[in-house]
Amino acid sequence: MLVGGVAAGAFGSLLGLGGGVLIVPLLTIGFGLPLREAVGVSLVCVIVTSSASASVYLQRRQANLRLGMVLELFTAIGAIAGGLVAFLIDERVLAALFAALLVYVAVTMVRARPAAVEDEAAPVASTAQPIASATATDELVVRRFPAGVAGSLGAGVISALLGIGGGIVKVPVMHLVMGVPLRVATATSNLMIGITASASAIVYLVRGGIDINAAGPTAVGVFVGATFGSRFGGKVEMRLLRVLFVGVLLFTAFEMARRAVGAS
Amino acid sequence: MSAIRVDPAGQASGLESNLARVLQAGTYLSIALVAVGVVLLVAGGGSPLDPGPPFSLGTLVQDLAGGKPAGFLWLGILGIVATPGVRVFGALAGFWRRGERRMAAVALAIIAVVALGVFAGLMTG
Repeated sequence: MLVGGVAAGAFGSLLGLGGGVLIVPLLTIGFGLPLREAVGVSLVCVIVTSSASASVYLQRRQANLRLGMVLELFTAIGAIAGGLVAFLIDERVLAALFAALLVYVAVTMVRARPAAVEDEAAPVASTAQPIASATATDELVVRRFPAGVAGSLGAGVISALLGIGGGIVKVPVMHLVMGVPLRVATATSNLMIGITASASAIVYLVRGGIDINAAGPTAVGVFVGATFGSRFGGKVEMRLLRVLFVGVLLFTAFEMARRAVGAS
Repeated sequence: MSAIRVDPAGQASGLESNLARVLQAGTYLSIALVAVGVVLLVAGGGSPLDPGPPFSLGTLVQDLAGGKPAGFLWLGILGIVATPGVRVFGALAGFWRRGERRMAAVALAIIAVVALGVFAGLMTG
């Protein structure tokens, strides 16, 4: 479990994922944990990676604290609603939702454009034009705020149901819908993930949905793996890693789909 | 609300720096406690696949005093879960001191929502 956590943390860090998308299948398919219990453990791990990376993003001024806090109010509401609903849903439905999520992430990774990397490297708030404008008083003007609120609520629900950070929803909503520069959106999403996952983890915790014996080694492993991944990320052949990872995601989606139909 | 103010780019402001330190300290301290718990669990012949004891405040204190793995694991995991909340409390205090009442209200609303989650979890559990 510790080694699996290290691998999930390292992969997640190298590929810009929170790790939840890997931890839940690892614990359910690899160690036979019930899906809901795996989601509870995953939420704890997601908070670890979010808090560690958000501290760096805040120091570097990449995360927008104000935007993040306004939106995390809504992700927290969604997360609590999702956390409560998660205990009412059949695990096979959750497995089906997770399989769909894995396919979505795999497709997103295949379709990832190199242009996004250029946007990643841009200085904070200076590339806001034309999708968002930074005024002379350094105000980041976001557009379609109600849509951003709706997206944040949805991200919170998905996070709580599936044990992921919800960045795969938050980043596109902030960047494509609200016009926030990608680099700022990624860093701000990371900051928000902490409260999103924390709100749902609290619901899991008070309802006995977090097993400390499974959560302990996995969280330590994820922390070590994420630290390792962020330090040595530059030395890894990313294209090969991406192809390998897409294969792993699709295989895991297949296994989750089998669980959904009761085949395993 | 369509405009969210961003401070000039460059060095992190005092508030952001302080919040970053809160997140860093909370994470490192919590992970250290969890790691101690994992070492004690394995050293005592326990397995991560064995179901762990449920959370109880009274037992937590006893387990910590007795050097039991469950005490360290629970305290560490509580620390992990609480760290983002502590960051929001820090933001509330920081925004209030700066006179940013609207952002202070947002922070307060987040805390209220999380507290509501605890209450709802207890009521429906």
